Amino acid sequence: MLELKDVHTYYGNIHALKGISITVKDGEIVTLIGSNGAGKSTTLRTIQGLNRPRSGTVTLDGVSLEKMEAHKIAEFGVAQSPEGRMIFPRMTVMENLEMGAYVRKDLTSYKDDLEHVFSLFPRLKERINQKGGTLSGGEQQMLAMGRAMMAKPKILLLDEPSMGLAPLLVELIFDIIKKLNEEGTTILLVEQNALMALSIAHRGYVLQTGEIVLADDAKKLMKNEDVQKTYLGVE
Amino acid sequence: MQPNIKTGITFGIIGGLLTFLFGGWSVAVIGCFMGIGLGLGFGGRIEKSTPFNMAKEASKPGFTAAGVLLIVSLIQNFVIQGLIGKSQAELNTFIFSNLIAFLGSAGLTCLVVSFGGYDKKKEQTYKLALLAAVVIAFPFVDNFTELRWTAQIIFALIFVILGLGLNIVVGYAGLLDLGYAAFFAIGAYTTGILSSPVHNTEWNFWLVIWIAAAMAGLWGLMLGAPTLPLRGDYLAIVTLGFGEIVPVLFKNLIDVTIKEPLTCWILPLFRIQTTCITFFEHADLTLGEKGISPIGRPYLPIIGEFESSKPITWYFLIVALILLSVFIINRLRDSRLGRAWMAIREDELAAAQMGIDPVKTKLAAFAMGAMFSGFAGAFYAAYIRGIFPSVFDFSASIIILCVVILGGIGNINGVIVGGLVLMTADRLFLPALKDFLTALLTHTVLPSISNPAVQAAVSANANPILYRFLLFGLTLVIMMAVRPEGLIPNAQVRAELHANEEKKG
Ligand SMILES: Nc1ncnc2c1ncn2[C@@H]1O[C@H](COP(=O)(O)OP(=O)(O)OP(=O)(O)O)[C@@H](O)[C@H]1O
Ligand SMILES: [Mg+2]
Repeated sequence: MLELKDVHTYYGNIHALKGISITVKDGEIVTLIGSNGAGKSTTLRTIQGLNRPRSGTVTLDGVSLEKMEAHKIAEFGVAQSPEGRMIFPRMTVMENLEMGAYVRKDLTSYKDDLEHVFSLFPRLKERINQKGGTLSGGEQQMLAMGRAMMAKPKILLLDEPSMGLAPLLVELIFDIIKKLNEEGTTILLVEQNALMALSIAHRGYVLQTGEIVLADDAKKLMKNEDVQKTYLGVE
Repeated sequence: MQPNIKTGITFGIIGGLLTFLFGGWSVAVIGCFMGIGLGLGFGGRIEKSTPFNMAKEASKPGFTAAGVLLIVSLIQNFVIQGLIGKSQAELNTFIFSNLIAFLGSAGLTCLVVSFGGYDKKKEQTYKLALLAAVVIAFPFVDNFTELRWTAQIIFALIFVILGLGLNIVVGYAGLLDLGYAAFFAIGAYTTGILSSPVHNTEWNFWLVIWIAAAMAGLWGLMLGAPTLPLRGDYLAIVTLGFGEIVPVLFKNLIDVTIKEPLTCWILPLFRIQTTCITFFEHADLTLGEKGISPIGRPYLPIIGEFESSKPITWYFLIVALILLSVFIINRLRDSRLGRAWMAIREDELAAAQMGIDPVKTKLAAFAMGAMFSGFAGAFYAAYIRGIFPSVFDFSASIIILCVVILGGIGNINGVIVGGLVLMTADRLFLPALKDFLTALLTHTVLPSISNPAVQAAVSANANPILYRFLLFGLTLVIMMAVRPEGLIPNAQVRAELHANEEKKG
């Protein structure tokens, strides 16, 4: 279980997260929605140790992460498909996926996992030897997700996986996320596309200028008037 | 005209002009090297078919090149020799050397091209076999032909090891190190201090070379630990600083006193009487500007002590060291650590997200790179039998960096070729060019200049060695403009540099 308690994160003087608390239980999909600049990516970066909370605690399975180095956190079982994808541009698709598995000590199921990624993203299999940097935006997004999956993490952090994808692909990506979760992966999903995110998530949090303003079951959030007005575009 | 024939003619002329500088048997050796070079060059361009057909295809440009070489060589013997005031070669030497040059050049071109007609594995084996034959035969041929190139080639090979080491740091891990010669100095001085009669410490070379490598590696760790968290430009500046400090440090280690602190200072503070244990008192470790000399040489049972007059033994020692280095570096590159280096080079933040410890990984690159430098330093110190602080200044770091860039960042073969080309140019070509120009001027232009001041100025400035850094710089600038990925590029670097062109084309 991932647990954030009263987390405050700053960029210099900018108070980006103003005491947020989030829990993600094992086997759940939890989504974090909010408008631009609300602090969604900052939350994920804080969990991953790329930003340090000034106060508050972050724990995964009872182990506190807030002082752990980023690479140790990755080793401990947190993988992210980050905003801006951050794939290795001069490495091939295959090498990128290999890097994803870098943290794993146990590589017995490596081949199967690779096949699994390719079965979800057949496009990647076709481009196995292409350099990451020359993939299209959508393909890079798939690669970033595939790479995170190769780590077999305890929790998978996805930062706007639907960004820049064609509508058909957006649906495909959400299907894949759902499938991954059904196979047992715990997921924290950050999305602009609130409707889609809420439709596959178990629970959701609404973040507004660094504060959690709403937290509820996904179904209930979808029916919430404020959410409908602000994030679902319902008049 | 067919492009291969054009290349053949160009090579023939260049090879021929080189014989101007060296004369004698050089045409035979140059011809053979030219043949191999052309063969490798044509190999990729000639359509794949049976070995025989490919050789036939290559024979036209091959014989053209050989013919051009022969013509220029004839000019050399009958015109140039006279111009520079030397007598023509003996008839026997002349006939044989040119015959070997002609047949060797054309024959090797065809032979190397014909390798391409076999399957990949066989081709690779044949090429390696030829390479091994050349490497082994070279010093003996050199000895027989009295060219005396081996001694200089050994310097080039030292820089090959240095380049290979720096390539780990710059090419694999992507850390710009501008002070790499510092580790070269540490290896050399470790050897100097441990195996010189000056210090009465004549340790065995075969032991010292490992200590030197370990010492350089250790210093790599010590210098790297506080600096490697820095990124990009900052790291470059700090390494530049270290590169300056280390030679100065060695220059000044001339009055070293090391006492055991407990017995000498701490206990006396409490008025406890002890005898102060002193490790060194006023020891002159490095002899300052004068440098340490002589330095012990390696010894092997059957061969005996390595002597400066017999470069062949040194040659095979450095070749063995290079083989060892290439083997280790290849293994490293394909290891988990090697992949971590590549990831760090690509994107440090993303690498950390993959679970790679950036500081540890960079530190490993720094220390490994330093270790190879330590090897080279130990060999260097023993080879020239002395070390002087001025050898290891900033320019040395830059030359090593040039070797890596010229050859092809991140590619082992590239770095080897880069080191050979750059350093042979520096140690063989420039001095020979200087002698040639001096001789040419004294026999042609100089006598006709009446003003003695002008005469002196001309003869003093016609020394290409004076312009060596200008030439280094020029080479780099031209390289960057024409072929920024280096002579034998790393596939990834090439892909990145030419990404736009590929899209256009
Ligand atoms: N490196 C930084 N330095 C200073 N301020 C930053 C930095 N990164 C983010 N911020 C600020 O922190 C706030 C939260 O940013 P964050 O990236 O978490 O937003 P987000 O919710 O992910 O937005 P989006 O949906 O646009 O990605 C914003 O106001 C942003 O300007
Ligand atoms: Mg964001």
